[in-house]
Amino acid sequence: MNSHRLAAELRKIFPGDRIITGELERRIYNYDSSFMARFHNYMPDAVVLPRSTAEVSATLRLASEHKIPVVPRGAGSGETCGCLAVRGGIVLDLSSWDTVEEVDVANMQVIARPGVVHYKLNKHLSEYGLFFPPDPGSTRMCTIGGMVANNSSGLRAVKYGTTEQYVLGLEVVLAGGQVIQTGGVKCKALKNVSGLNLTKLFVGSEGILGVITKVRLRVWPRPRARGIAMACFADLNEAPAAVLDVYRAGIMPSGIEVLDASAIRAINLYRPEINLPSSEAILLFEVDGNPASVEWEGRQISEILGKRAFSLEWATDPDRMADLWRGRSVVAVAAARLRPDGSRIFAGEDISVPLDKVTEALRKIKELSLKHEVPVVNYGHIGDGNVHTAPVINLNSPEEVGRANKLVDDIHRLSIELNGATTGEHGVGAVRNQYARDEHGEAVNIMRRIKEALDPDNIMNPGKLLPPEGDTGGV
Amino acid sequence: MVFEELSGLKEHYLHCVRCGQCRSVCPVFEEVRNETAAPRSKVFLAHMLSSGELRTGPEAAAHFSRCILCQACTRECPSAVPVHKIILAARFMLARKHPSRIRGTIFREIWTRPALLNLAAGLIRCSQSLGLVKMGLACGLLPPGFSLPGRLPRQPALDSLPEITPAAGKATTRVGYFLGCSTNYLYPEIAGSTVSVLSQLGCEVVLPKSLKCCGLPLLESGELEPVAPMALYNLAAFKRLGVNTVFSDCASCTATLKELQAQQLFSGIEVLDLSGLLLELLDSYNSGMKALNRVATYHDPCHLAGAQGITLSPRQLLRRTGVEFREMKDAGNCCGGGGIFAIYHYDLSMKILNKKIASIEETGADIVATFCPTCVMQLRHGLAKHKGTIEVVHPVQLLAQSLILA
Repeated sequence: MNSHRLAAELRKIFPGDRIITGELERRIYNYDSSFMARFHNYMPDAVVLPRSTAEVSATLRLASEHKIPVVPRGAGSGETCGCLAVRGGIVLDLSSWDTVEEVDVANMQVIARPGVVHYKLNKHLSEYGLFFPPDPGSTRMCTIGGMVANNSSGLRAVKYGTTEQYVLGLEVVLAGGQVIQTGGVKCKALKNVSGLNLTKLFVGSEGILGVITKVRLRVWPRPRARGIAMACFADLNEAPAAVLDVYRAGIMPSGIEVLDASAIRAINLYRPEINLPSSEAILLFEVDGNPASVEWEGRQISEILGKRAFSLEWATDPDRMADLWRGRSVVAVAAARLRPDGSRIFAGEDISVPLDKVTEALRKIKELSLKHEVPVVNYGHIGDGNVHTAPVINLNSPEEVGRANKLVDDIHRLSIELNGATTGEHGVGAVRNQYARDEHGEAVNIMRRIKEALDPDNIMNPGKLLPPEGDTGGV
Repeated sequence: MVFEELSGLKEHYLHCVRCGQCRSVCPVFEEVRNETAAPRSKVFLAHMLSSGELRTGPEAAAHFSRCILCQACTRECPSAVPVHKIILAARFMLARKHPSRIRGTIFREIWTRPALLNLAAGLIRCSQSLGLVKMGLACGLLPPGFSLPGRLPRQPALDSLPEITPAAGKATTRVGYFLGCSTNYLYPEIAGSTVSVLSQLGCEVVLPKSLKCCGLPLLESGELEPVAPMALYNLAAFKRLGVNTVFSDCASCTATLKELQAQQLFSGIEVLDLSGLLLELLDSYNSGMKALNRVATYHDPCHLAGAQGITLSPRQLLRRTGVEFREMKDAGNCCGGGGIFAIYHYDLSMKILNKKIASIEETGADIVATFCPTCVMQLRHGLAKHKGTIEVVHPVQLLAQSLILA
């Protein structure tokens, strides 16, 4: 179908102000945060902004009939080209469909449309004394639909887990336009083991199985108090050991973040006033709950950390906590300060390794950084083994871009070698699907068969999550 | 504000990782609600413009014009990308590649010459008196943004204020008054209050009669070249009168002057924040002040709160007048004005303004004060449309009332 005809057909479904067909505007849908997107032109044939299930369904019927790829998109804050039209087609920009349909306080759940922004949802829920615990760094822009599609998590996953643990049910539009409810058509229960768990199938499916148009989420009571402990270590090996000590004491912090020497140096270069103590590693522990429990846990953590750390601070004052957390929050930008001509790139940035391999992973990433001569900054959610690596490169140098790609490939392979995963929370998209066979083996064939059953024409976000075509895995 | 070519900002736009955090603060994106309005899209297209991948032309110009230049994205950016500077540089590049006779006449010929600007203001005033502007608006010959300024006063401020206003008592300080175009042509009463308040608080106020515009409307329009000569001209005007410190009652002018200083175009002179200056003077003011029996709220102008980080002193100043102060929700959110933005994108501007008006009305205040005459214009327009009775003033006007009533 040519672009004029496609636009005409879409106009039958959408009002004019919710269809984008101009070349310049379609080009804008050519990016997300990924390094890969910088080097490709993934311009869609059209962009539409649905605000009803009927519109999504009609679009998928049209796309199915003419075998046009369909790519769901939230805020475009991902790092994997997951929302980009790598084979052209129609981008469904769901970010303007942002209605919180119901806060069911009595049943501790909320029903939201896919475009609701994470922090806005939590702001809304706070009026009811509730919150949706997964806490991605992109809270201010990422959407609930995108979080579900990528099974996102974030700083507090160590205690509260990932998005999948909170999704009670979904409304999904399948490739032919059929609308289904997962988790029970009328179900409002918190527990439900009837039937195959299709909800879990769609969570993290990155849009390759269908379009998520409604989400039923479990919510929790909002904690009344928080506290943060900062500990500085002279030896990187002490950091994971200290985390283990805290766990062994029966304490489950809501967040445990690590900054290695490179991250500390970068932060001090960027914001000297933060003045982090020069050390091999800094750990930030956050605990939450009621005021008495937070105080008790703070004392316990301080005592435990005091045995290994050379410097320790415990804070419950909101301003001081904000200051301490600031070091962690500016590290993404601070990374670029390691070199004047450097830009931080999002590639190889999200590996996940077993807790007992965190130190090894950090050490080996350092070695790889030296080998490829690409400076990196390491930080991440050490409490659950999710290591974030920020390569800093000169984007003007094609040779350096090439070296960065090799480094990133090595980092991904390292994660598999260490019995980990190439991604802990950012997803696969088009940048990590090449590792799917190594990570999942024969299970990839089952994934393919599920995909074929739900999307026989392969129109749903093709080129993502599953290994690229041509990979037969010996089948 | 920028005096750089787009290519000179390359390292900055390469730093943009396209994370999208700018979406969370952009007032234009909040209304348009698709990626084409996200500030990062402008950084992305600026990169393409610079590398020649994107054609310059009306489509690109329209895209870059859809920004208020409130700078919220620049402040929010975790990668420290100066988004507004990149947008200005792109506008400059587009304006240079596609010169417009109308734009050139307005900004290069008229705006750079006070005599012609006076004449133009006079013509607009005459047209308003004859009902021509109303007619033009009604039949669509004039864009709706032309209704924003309301009726122009009979006389610009500069015509009625002396070059030197002595201090009412013993002069403790001597300050230069940078009278901006909006205050001069739209709100001479603000200028009058500014001068009388400072005089009463012990300042000798020096107002050069030959001042030109600070250059912001030219920068916003991409007509960059005249800005530097205008800045040097204004600097010389103050120096001729022996002035070492300058202030303005217009947040946009002050922000521009500070940026000009950073670019070494307004050097050797200190640019003061008026609210801070007034607080300092009030501290040593011995005569009484009468408490105003009003309920006031405050709107933070983007070019004061955002561009200069000044939020506290205007509120302290208001409290000094004895008003009951009530903070509005999202006081730092843009009102949608932004000078030429409201003219080019009136409907969008009004949508942004409506939220601000709702926040103001929610406070129950009978006065809203703001430190920017362009915001005054926008808020008055919005409140008039909502048939509100809330008065929009500059804080110096309240201070003048409080001092005079004492």
